[in-house]
Amino acid sequence: MSPILQRRQFLGTAALGFGQVAFHSLLASDGAGQSHFPARAKRVIFLFMKGGPSHIDTFDPKPLLDRDHGKPPPFELPRVTFAKQGNLLKSPWQFHRYGESGLPVSDLFPHVAQCIDDLCILRGVHGTNPAHGGAMLKLHTGSDTFVRPSMGSWIVYGLGSENRNLPSFVTICPTLAHGGVNNWGSAFLPQYCQGTPMGTASASSREAKVKHITPSASISSDQRKQLDFLGKLNAQSVRENPEVEAMNARLGSFELAYRMQTSMPEAQDLSGESAATQKLYGVDDPVTEDFGRQCLLARRFCERGVRFVQVTHSDSEVQWDQHSNLYQGHTKNAAEVDKPIAGLLKDLKSRGMLEDTLVIWGGEFGRTPTAQGGNGRDHNPHGFTVWMAGGGVKGGRAYGATDDYGYYAERDKMHVHDLHATILHLLGLNHETLTFRHAGRDFRLTDVHGTVAEAILA
Amino acid sequence: MSCLLGVVPGFATEVSPDQAEFFEKKIRPLLAENCFRCHDATEKDVKGGLSMHSPSAFRRGGDHGERIIVSGKPEESLLIEAVRYQNRDLQMPPKSPLSESEIRDLETWIEMGAPDPRSEVEDDLRGPTGMDPEEGRNFWSFRPLQKSVVPPGVHPVDHFIQARLAEKSLKQTTPASKETWLRRATFDLTGLPPTPGEIEAFLADETPDAETRVVDRLLASPDYAVRWGRHWLDVARYADSNGLDENLAFANAWRYRDYVISSFNEDKPFDQFLIEQIAGDLIENPDRDTLVATGFLALGARVLAEPDREKLEMDVIDEQLDTMGKAFLGLTLGCARCHDHKFDPILQSDYFSLAAIFRNSRNFAESNTGAIKHWYEHDFSSEEEKERLKPIDEAIAEAKKKARTHKNKVIGALRGEARSKAVDYLVASFEFDASATLATVSEVAGKYDLHPRILYHARRHLDNSHGDKVFQTWWKYREKGDQSGMREFYEEKFETAVLAFSQLQKENSKAKTLPDPELEPYRAALFDNSGLLAVPAKPEHAFSEIDLAEYHRLSEEARLLETEAPDYSSAMGIADGEKIEDTLPIHIRGNHLSPGEEVPRALPAVFGEKDVRFPSDASGRLELARWMADPSNPLTARVIVNRVWRWHFGQGLVSTTENFGVLGERPSHPELLDWMAGWFVENGWSIKKLNRLIMTSDTYRLSSDPLPGIRSEVDPENRLLSHFPVRRLEAEAIRDAILHVSGRLDRESGGKSIPLRNRQMVFNHTSKDHTSYDSLRRTAFLPVVRNHLYDWLHLFDYPDPTMPTGNRASTVIAPQALLLMNSPLMTDSSAAFASRILGAAESTEERVDLAWQLAFGRLPAAGERDLAIEFLAEAPDSPHQWNLFCQSLLASNQFVYLQ
Repeated sequence: MSPILQRRQFLGTAALGFGQVAFHSLLASDGAGQSHFPARAKRVIFLFMKGGPSHIDTFDPKPLLDRDHGKPPPFELPRVTFAKQGNLLKSPWQFHRYGESGLPVSDLFPHVAQCIDDLCILRGVHGTNPAHGGAMLKLHTGSDTFVRPSMGSWIVYGLGSENRNLPSFVTICPTLAHGGVNNWGSAFLPQYCQGTPMGTASASSREAKVKHITPSASISSDQRKQLDFLGKLNAQSVRENPEVEAMNARLGSFELAYRMQTSMPEAQDLSGESAATQKLYGVDDPVTEDFGRQCLLARRFCERGVRFVQVTHSDSEVQWDQHSNLYQGHTKNAAEVDKPIAGLLKDLKSRGMLEDTLVIWGGEFGRTPTAQGGNGRDHNPHGFTVWMAGGGVKGGRAYGATDDYGYYAERDKMHVHDLHATILHLLGLNHETLTFRHAGRDFRLTDVHGTVAEAILA
Repeated sequence: MSCLLGVVPGFATEVSPDQAEFFEKKIRPLLAENCFRCHDATEKDVKGGLSMHSPSAFRRGGDHGERIIVSGKPEESLLIEAVRYQNRDLQMPPKSPLSESEIRDLETWIEMGAPDPRSEVEDDLRGPTGMDPEEGRNFWSFRPLQKSVVPPGVHPVDHFIQARLAEKSLKQTTPASKETWLRRATFDLTGLPPTPGEIEAFLADETPDAETRVVDRLLASPDYAVRWGRHWLDVARYADSNGLDENLAFANAWRYRDYVISSFNEDKPFDQFLIEQIAGDLIENPDRDTLVATGFLALGARVLAEPDREKLEMDVIDEQLDTMGKAFLGLTLGCARCHDHKFDPILQSDYFSLAAIFRNSRNFAESNTGAIKHWYEHDFSSEEEKERLKPIDEAIAEAKKKARTHKNKVIGALRGEARSKAVDYLVASFEFDASATLATVSEVAGKYDLHPRILYHARRHLDNSHGDKVFQTWWKYREKGDQSGMREFYEEKFETAVLAFSQLQKENSKAKTLPDPELEPYRAALFDNSGLLAVPAKPEHAFSEIDLAEYHRLSEEARLLETEAPDYSSAMGIADGEKIEDTLPIHIRGNHLSPGEEVPRALPAVFGEKDVRFPSDASGRLELARWMADPSNPLTARVIVNRVWRWHFGQGLVSTTENFGVLGERPSHPELLDWMAGWFVENGWSIKKLNRLIMTSDTYRLSSDPLPGIRSEVDPENRLLSHFPVRRLEAEAIRDAILHVSGRLDRESGGKSIPLRNRQMVFNHTSKDHTSYDSLRRTAFLPVVRNHLYDWLHLFDYPDPTMPTGNRASTVIAPQALLLMNSPLMTDSSAAFASRILGAAESTEERVDLAWQLAFGRLPAAGERDLAIEFLAEAPDSPHQWNLFCQSLLASNQFVYLQ
């Protein structure tokens, strides 16, 4: 473990969460960069498509599916599948080539397709678990059997905070199902590393708020006065217990909390965004408004130094989980996110932020090329697509491949652990040395696995 | 020749020049390019235990053994199986397959007898990488308890603590004030602050055994067991919901919680407590309590939707072994599932010998919720109870059905209406593009009296249907701008199709399609629920306000009916399975699909030959439990005594309370630990006696102020206890104390806490958590929802309730401050605290004094009183000002820290 990380671990117990001011300045005084090697990205926006969008209907076209539509699959099915598999089902959507790279994108994502030359499409991603909960936990934490720190927590732990008044890891409208809080929890990492949820998947992003961020009406105008008195009390305890560092940290934590009461609503207030910007994200259209708002919030948080923002596309119908009515469901889902995502990519680019912001798009798994119940597709963790943009990845590039029908990842495969290793690498962190000692052993996001996909690094 | 090679693995035979050339040209570069990265012994950690760096290492194979290369027989060689990529569980290289010619080269090479001209290199990759069992017996925690003599007249705890201090030329600080000691002891044993009456009585008691009497009073209080039972619940990773992949309510878990609390209350001997939790179903005369105790093994978080049943069973056993090992033995047994323990003297065969015991149990019930399996429970319900609850079950099912039926009915009606206006949808779609916003679409929909979202989708569908037989005509008309022509065309087609179909159905009610290939696509398009006229799947998008409200009402009715329905009397637990097996194969790399050598049920080898026989008609859990609870077990007593010490001092003698292995910390006071462990066993494994022993020592009486002069560099973490460690209160103690001080605490004890029926979803995809925490009961009785903990618990370092924790963290984060500043619990309690004070005293001074006594267990120092009066002076009689004041006290360091 690097001396900095050791120091961080030591300080962790007394660190001020959300911004951890004192803590951060201590780190700075170490006089060293915090990452293991030069970072290509400083922050991450993870656009999580809950339920499992179909790769073969979006970014991984399979002509053989058209040819063999309705026939039994000419390959062996996995030993364990989530549901009973039917015959091959062709994609209801056309694919067209876009941009200089000429990469194909289906008609589900006409707006994102305009940004294709910034996208690095990872077509050989695979996981281990065919059920939502297990697969979501795997994708977010690297483990589907134990509670482990989430990817965002590891990143915050590894890089520290970039801001004074906001949390370092924000998750907007996350789902509480299928792993819930564990998907943004810090597990045994210091508390300040955990994701701060705003709202939930069941509520509109317009109402998404950090809990307890608003003082009760009866106190609000007197809170400053009250905190001054509390500060004096606490200062007294600090004088009496100079060796108890946490008491001093606690004194600061109230000030930070007080500032957050202003900084958080300010970050969430979109009224300063121009009409053109709001339109770019689709905030003006009820169909795209909810997700567009989330994407725009993500950009605003990034501007304010938040390291990891997760934006979740989820609803009460498990969103992308089209066991039946693939056509209708995916049409609706794509319509809700396509424009906002493209808006985010364009906006980041025009502001010069895409260079050092890693945008990741994907679900917990893909879907089967075989049909379920006639017009749906089952879960498929064996091969699916995740794409990245910005943050040091090659744009206009497809990396890895599934087989001819899109069931199994087959070439340049990237297990979820490899995805994690690569994401950390892009942020300047070595997944093998970013460790935390807990219960007598060192833990990593990638456990004992993970290979960085060097070929996609710009 | 190839046969010879086949039977002599690693045999360095003579390699002909041709063979050598083939190897050097084809095989070595292939291996170097694709394999050495993970299978080169220069790496410390070769993958799968397979090193390819020397001929003999290669042939010896890895964890899968010597079948890697069967000379002359590529078809039987695992190497070839792996590179052919046909076995989904064994594909190498892992990222991309080799080319076909490379695979052919490897096949040819094996057909040749796998000639390997490389020279041999010494290695010792095989064998355990951790300690072997023989060596392990000499490791401190596996050695028998060491007996030391304590000189008469000295408190044993002080004897050992002071001796270590003296070695470092340190000494202990002065005793704490009586008020400080009382606050410390009261919180320590009950999790609550002392009352002004208790403070007064103690200050007035000047007899030498005043403290002992307080300790005895506190140990006898029912609050003791709430506090100390809760400590054990940390270790037992207690929770009221599963919360791993799927969050089903453990609505009977509370029985285990109450069992633990009552065990602490009655000071149940710890050896008995242990045996009941591991094998309460197998002891002589098991009763309801001992069956409930086995909940310990059932409370783990499980991947309930894991479709691979065998993997699930093994994952559950892994969780049980890991929890049992950490909780009782301080051993990380889970680390030996895939390989021998990397550090401790636990072999993979030890793990599977223990797993063989647990494999003989029942962990799952027959029932399920869709893909979600149900855990096993001991059924206590009588026939009468079953009869009584049956109609309730039926009513719940009926209510759910009602909601579903309503939903389907509305959707059916919407579909019918859309179908009847199919042509209007096509006509309206003329007027905008697929990229139009919903606002634009809604306007058009209004004009034609259509459903905006259906129209929105229909227009997108048309964009996806340029080549479609039915809709290409729409595009032709649109290009011409001929709206009325289009209308005529489709009116005719749809009408004809519908008419033909209804006639067909009259003739043959089972008919699904029209025989006319020209007309059938039009019928199909009309009736395609996912096509042009798809109704939105989300009721919120599809339904009228009235229908939606009715649907919500019916769903909510069903939910409430289920939530409030009584549970069948039963308890989470474990039972022996029907079939008892004496052996289990080792799972190579922990993978149940790679069975290895069969191992019998047994205790880990490091504990030596033990006279433990596992019966042929029972799982063997009872024998395992008895061995753990035997006084000769070197770990059990040490581990629990250390836990108790940790709960008193905030730091264990072994700071890693769950790990007494090589990576755990060594004890700061080994003699004290062993002496206490021995004393504990001799004194009937009584936790209360141990509490009393520790709390009557001078060490426990120390002030938390370090002695001036002995600065921290000698003992920066105060492990030698020259002064008492300052500690922040735990989540429960903070909340309970706030309620107590404000006079709001509800002392009702025990009973069900999660407001859900057993196995009900805590929250499904809606992410709405209906759990409420507005109860004013002690925090130990609030629901513990894995995955979505109550804020107070979550923010104040409540441990992850999926793994045993004996050593809670104590962090400082800003959201804690937000909670103390803005949560209703805090503001309501502050108001109650303020009115309590205003009602009980007249002058500001008296009121401040009382507030200080209630909150901090002492009177304010002069400076403190001045500060308070200065703040209150602004509005000394305003309840509002007092609210602000009281909230500050409850949020202060003085309140949340224990000196």
